[in-house]
Amino acid sequence: MNKLIICFFLLAGITTQAQDANGVFRAAGSPENPKVPISWNRYYTHDGITDICKKIAAAHPDLAKLESIGKSYQGREMWVLTITDFKKGKAEEKPGFYLDGNIHSNEIQGAEMALYTAWYLTETFKDITFIQELLADRVFYIVPTINPDARDYFMKSPNTPHSPRSGMIPVDNDRDGKINEDGFDDLDKDGNITQMIRKSVTGRFKKDPNDSRRLIRAKTDELGEYEVLGYEGIDSDGDGRVNEDGEGYYDPNRDWGWKWQPNPIQNGAYKYPFSLPENRNVRDFVMAHPNIAGAQSFHNNGGMILRGPGAEEDASTYNAEDSRIYDAIGKKGELLIPGYRYMIVYKDLYSVFGGELDWFYGGRGVYTFTNELFTSYMYFNKKSSWEDGQEEVYEFNNDLLFGDAIVPWKEYDHPQYGKIEIGGVKKNFTRADPGFLLESDAHRNMSFVIYHAYHMPKLSVDNISEKNLGNGLTEVTAVVKNERMMPTHSSQDLKYNIERPDYISIQGASVVAGMVVENRDLNITNEQKNNPAVLAVKSIPGLDAVTVRWIIKSSKNYTIKVDSRKGGVVSKQK
Amino acid sequence: MRKYYLSLLVLGLWVPLASAQEYQTQTQLSQKLKSLESASGGMAKLQSITKTIGGKDIWLMEIGSGDRSAHPAIAVVGGVEGAHLFSQELAVAFIEKMLTSKSDSIKTLLSTTTFYVFPNMSPDASEQYFSALKYERSGNASATDDDRDGKVNEDPFEDLNGDGLITMMRIEDPTGKWKTHPADTRIMVQANAEKGEHGDYLLYTEGIDNDKDGAFNEDGEGGIHFNKSLSFDFPYFTPGAGEHPVSELENRALLDLLYDKPNIFSVVTFGPANNLSEPWKFDRSKTTMRVITGILENDAKVNKFVSDLYKKSVTAKDAPSSLPTKGDFVQWGYFHYARFSFSTPGWWVPKFEASKDSTLTKNNTNKDDKNSDVNFIRWAEKEGLDVFVPWKKIIHPDFPGKTVEVGGFKPFVRTNPPVKYIEKAATDHTKFLVMLAQAKPELDLVGLKTESLENGISRITLTVLNKGQLPAIAEVGASNYWVKLITVALNLGKDQALVGGRKIITINNLQPGESTEVSWLVKGKGIATIEAGAAQTGIKKLNITL
Repeated sequence: MNKLIICFFLLAGITTQAQDANGVFRAAGSPENPKVPISWNRYYTHDGITDICKKIAAAHPDLAKLESIGKSYQGREMWVLTITDFKKGKAEEKPGFYLDGNIHSNEIQGAEMALYTAWYLTETFKDITFIQELLADRVFYIVPTINPDARDYFMKSPNTPHSPRSGMIPVDNDRDGKINEDGFDDLDKDGNITQMIRKSVTGRFKKDPNDSRRLIRAKTDELGEYEVLGYEGIDSDGDGRVNEDGEGYYDPNRDWGWKWQPNPIQNGAYKYPFSLPENRNVRDFVMAHPNIAGAQSFHNNGGMILRGPGAEEDASTYNAEDSRIYDAIGKKGELLIPGYRYMIVYKDLYSVFGGELDWFYGGRGVYTFTNELFTSYMYFNKKSSWEDGQEEVYEFNNDLLFGDAIVPWKEYDHPQYGKIEIGGVKKNFTRADPGFLLESDAHRNMSFVIYHAYHMPKLSVDNISEKNLGNGLTEVTAVVKNERMMPTHSSQDLKYNIERPDYISIQGASVVAGMVVENRDLNITNEQKNNPAVLAVKSIPGLDAVTVRWIIKSSKNYTIKVDSRKGGVVSKQK
Repeated sequence: MRKYYLSLLVLGLWVPLASAQEYQTQTQLSQKLKSLESASGGMAKLQSITKTIGGKDIWLMEIGSGDRSAHPAIAVVGGVEGAHLFSQELAVAFIEKMLTSKSDSIKTLLSTTTFYVFPNMSPDASEQYFSALKYERSGNASATDDDRDGKVNEDPFEDLNGDGLITMMRIEDPTGKWKTHPADTRIMVQANAEKGEHGDYLLYTEGIDNDKDGAFNEDGEGGIHFNKSLSFDFPYFTPGAGEHPVSELENRALLDLLYDKPNIFSVVTFGPANNLSEPWKFDRSKTTMRVITGILENDAKVNKFVSDLYKKSVTAKDAPSSLPTKGDFVQWGYFHYARFSFSTPGWWVPKFEASKDSTLTKNNTNKDDKNSDVNFIRWAEKEGLDVFVPWKKIIHPDFPGKTVEVGGFKPFVRTNPPVKYIEKAATDHTKFLVMLAQAKPELDLVGLKTESLENGISRITLTVLNKGQLPAIAEVGASNYWVKLITVALNLGKDQALVGGRKIITINNLQPGESTEVSWLVKGKGIATIEAGAAQTGIKKLNITL
């Protein structure tokens, strides 16, 4: 009795009110009256994310389950929402899609967009047949932030749009034996680390005559007025350098266990692969969920749909067969998210070791993308050249954000530089989506996730035929079909036998022999001498089928079962 | 009486006499380490840095007096290879020799230098030596699917001849690739098709093909192999390596601890590789790519210098070439940890020399007996050691109707000689480690000059000199943030002000004998302090009165 009451109060405490049904009208493709109303035009701290996760799980117990994959360095829970139709089949026996965000702590919108995905799937389930079918045979594992410590630090402490990127484990960046002794200083106390500039006879910059908040380069034949001193800060330790050893710095996306390299070769690497607790938690979760067949990781920014290889040295890891599938999904992404481009990390961005997507693909054989969310294309829905990119930022800030995102220059008396001015872009602008664009960007990126997840393997036992061989023997031939694009084993997986073979078995029959049929018309088969009832098949290719055959002694009631780690478990009874 | 023994046990002073006659179990080694610690008078500190998945402690013994973390240090690591019990004994004997030394020079050394000794990184594996079924095991207690077929430990060894040892089995078969060695028919060698030879035998480890996949004993008990699971040149998806580098508790605990000790300037491994008898050589083609795979030019010179120290102290000759292997610890120590990294097996089979009038010498016309197996068996027999199980026919279920024999070298014998060989090796290697410690990078502050300029301004000039025999930073560590730079800090009193010069000066490196002059202009009187150094060189302090 007591327990019941406590449960009731717990639930009541996190139940939220939907709008009065009479007061709303459905917009196409969005939940009309969500059980969990969420504002998608603002960002959430780790507490906020925790609250939303709990509300989604409480409001949709048959669709969402909330767990922690472990604790961060500072002890925050790393939440994972498991989203599937729990009434249909076991979650672990469906192809799984892993989605995370915010590995770089300043790249915050990954968390909201991952959460949006969880919210959308659960809230539209009752109205959209496609979503019902999707959740019937796939499962989504959504970890909104895999860097919760530094996410909160980004939001709650002074930062630039680009800092800290790292997690919160202290590191001696300047190798002087002291840790974090000279980080940023929020001199103007506005919660943002902006630029320091100073009037100088030799300076090569000037204020834009059309918008004095913007600093521009003086023309080649023109005297400048200002010099740029860098981000707000002082030389705290007196070593002649400013801000050279602040929070962090290591890069959590240089810490993964595929072709990892140490920091002199790969800037940002920490101690060894998975030396960061947050990444270890993800690793453990992925290793414990071998059904994960597709993955995406939400970063910012630049509107890029990235796939590996990360490093030029690793180019041979991706072969033509898998590249075809990547290309098909990536190209679709370019259509779904205008302004985003499908790119290969080492060729089109930079060559980098130890990235998350490389471990997912190279180490686990999982088809994986990284999305660099938000692009300057979204300012005015057109491509901009690098030249006027800055101009665009200021125009957008003025006309659409009404000046909210940029700190105007203000004089300051600096202990080392003397009279300076401080101002510039706030930490929530240029990389994070501006509020009104957040939901739209989230939806488009989610649609890309869903397209990717849709094309994970979907297996069925398509056709069973029998032939009487005489002497009480029957030949049973079964066709196992995969009606989606991805095979059950990527070519990287097959190269190293990362995941076990798929098992196609016949149950309830006395088996004399079993074989995989290579060519049914010409009767070319490959016999499995050991344990013929359970045939081990290397992979079930995408948009294709595998044919198997048994010779059995009776042909009454038997079941053919397909047990594939990444393709799920399906069976058909004869 | 009983109480007396009990209290000896509690104090950790009880070392059974029998332990000197045999290799020690983990329990005995742990006990030994504890007793060494308690008898050390504060010179040693023992801690368990983690427990393996098999529940065994990974021990770290710190040796040195004073503030050990403030002194330049050497890490000594044994048991990187689980079957190499000799390496653990060597590490423990080194600890004992250092702690019980009466020599003043050792005491002085220990007051300025620290040793971090990890006697055994593979306790799960090394215990196989003491179990009822003996085989050379490298993997820890993690359950692994070595042949990646979806089943775990489904095809282990079997002791077919019931002798408690896993040896080899040879099967007479015209398709075999093996034949007997002409100099000794007990020894099996591969037939050389290029010389027109053909094989007569199949050769496998002792056991049956439990899972009928055509491979013998390819997935038995034994998980991740410490010396194959580090991050340099990691052998992905090979048995024993793990799913990714540094996956195991003991690997992580060791690496975390080493990274947290910036005072370590060198790592010495007692393990299979040997770059002390034969130093690594500089090969420019291996150092020009982004991912370097060969030792850098200046570090190769250091390796040569240290190898010479080694050969001065370790008298055993004819060390076989022992190249490093993928994912091993010695390469991690150099390429990723960016310290001077050395490795030696500590003992190897000496070259067998037949006496001049022996029948062997007289009859020996076969040049092929340079074969290391032949050399080993001859040496062992001369020493009166029983290292070989004679081939003996058995009935094997996988080879019906065929002649199958079980036999071959006993496990462990090749790298673990009788314990009487430990003492000499320990003396020699202790001598070497002491010499290496004495060669440490060490700063001296020389030529201090304070000049009084006009109106209360003084100029301080000072030279920072590396008076050690090793560089302050290995070339491979030049841009690695885990290796500290030398800083020279001027700390002023409250009535003093810095007028010229940096409060903290960073020096990127100092080679042996190399120096750098620094100077400051200071206004005001009183005492100023200079602190110079890096963790791995030690920090020198100097007070100046202005």
